[in-house]
Amino acid sequence: MPELATLTHEQSLSTLTLNRPDAHNALSRDMLRDAHVCMDELEAMDDKPSVLVVTGAGRSFCAGMDLKEVIIEDDPSIPLQLLESLARLTYRIRQFPAVTVARVNGAAIGGGCGMTTVCDISITHADAKLGFPEVDLGLCPAVVAPWLVRKIGPGKSRQVLLTGGLISGARAHELGIVTECADSRESLDETVTTVTSSLTSGGPDALRATKALLNTLDGSNDEAILLEAARLSAQVLATEDAQNRLKARRT
Amino acid sequence: MITLETHTIDGRSIAMIALDRPDKRNALTPEMLVELNTAAKAASTDHDAIVLTGKGKAFCAGFDLALCQTTPDGSIMRKLLTGLSAACNTLRLSERPVVIAAQGAAIAGGCAILGGADIVVSNTNAKLGYPVTKIGVSPAVSAPYMTQSVTHGSARERLILPTLFSGTTAHKLGLVHELTEEPDDVQPRALEIAAKLAGKPPHAYAATKGLITKLEGDQRETRIKQGLETSLGLTGKDEEQRLLGALTF
Repeated sequence: MPELATLTHEQSLSTLTLNRPDAHNALSRDMLRDAHVCMDELEAMDDKPSVLVVTGAGRSFCAGMDLKEVIIEDDPSIPLQLLESLARLTYRIRQFPAVTVARVNGAAIGGGCGMTTVCDISITHADAKLGFPEVDLGLCPAVVAPWLVRKIGPGKSRQVLLTGGLISGARAHELGIVTECADSRESLDETVTTVTSSLTSGGPDALRATKALLNTLDGSNDEAILLEAARLSAQVLATEDAQNRLKARRT
Repeated sequence: MITLETHTIDGRSIAMIALDRPDKRNALTPEMLVELNTAAKAASTDHDAIVLTGKGKAFCAGFDLALCQTTPDGSIMRKLLTGLSAACNTLRLSERPVVIAAQGAAIAGGCAILGGADIVVSNTNAKLGYPVTKIGVSPAVSAPYMTQSVTHGSARERLILPTLFSGTTAHKLGLVHELTEEPDDVQPRALEIAAKLAGKPPHAYAATKGLITKLEGDQRETRIKQGLETSLGLTGKDEEQRLLGALTF
């Protein structure tokens, strides 16, 4: 049983939970491996759910890449392994034939914010912190860029990715990064339930067919560009400037 | 069930095409869509601009679902989907300005028609949306048009979520270009805009509109076909029959 990412099922709704709450669910190779195991299980189900909720355990959704694995110590190939695994996971989530709903319970940063943009629907609350601070750290948010462009369009993506920094859930809603924004952390689940019950009460075949067409129309079936992005991101990450900034962040 | 009025404003002739079935909130029948297609083609030649609207309080409540229930094999649903795609395409390809006055409600197929307009006017409290997956119908037919006015992300959210949203939200998304407070002000405002656009040099207008269509790329026709085929692929199937059949009027 995978532990760093877990799966629960309730009728036609399944939930994938990133489960490293002590590390704000930061993306490590081990957690991504467990998330892939969960995807294996979902893909193998005969009776697939019509809605898949993606969320984080504890107070954060996902804090982005684990600093311990992107600061190069002995093995320079580790960041690329992590980025490729993340790229493949986002692709599998997009391809999964159910409506995916990100329940953004708290901080969703960098790659973590990318995990929200790959979902069909994303729901957060006004106080959550979201954003793509990669450029501030000398990094390139390459893996998440294709998903953000598909979500909010190229013009706004330039603004968001090149400006860096963090924004509130309310601002993310204005920019279209999230679909719905609950007033507070406490009311998040009410909003999520309203959305998921309207989805599960409908026709799963119609939802699947619509999602598949939308994936065709917006270029989501292009896996190669994500793997290319992972390589680009790893290259930028290995530069001295990026490594120095990351080390400064650690201490 | 489609009527045509001609308005002459500043010497220009505006064709006001109306869905005219107000007691059914202008619910669409296959015949109405064929008539709309014909009227839009004729108006593109005979008039300087087109305003499409609906009689009464609601622009259009979508397909006539009671009528769809009468053919469980999905034959009426098929005609509606095919007619809708064709009408949107005719409006898009018209060389004249096309303004849609969507007062009150533009729901499902009624919201899909907005994809044919250059400019959409609605009111702040109007109800819009594509709540059709809950009756086993895929709104895919709208997707190739919708992604020309809003981002792929917004199209994904709004086509997948079977909930309605306000005119104000639609304006924020880019699906509606101008808002009025009062539903009764929507048609007059649409006429004003159409008259203003009709006053532009017609060759320049047609060339610009043609270029925007061309910028959609070589795949435009393929995408429209894929959208229609995705929606047609579900008609008459078990899921649609079960959910559509359960509706009562």
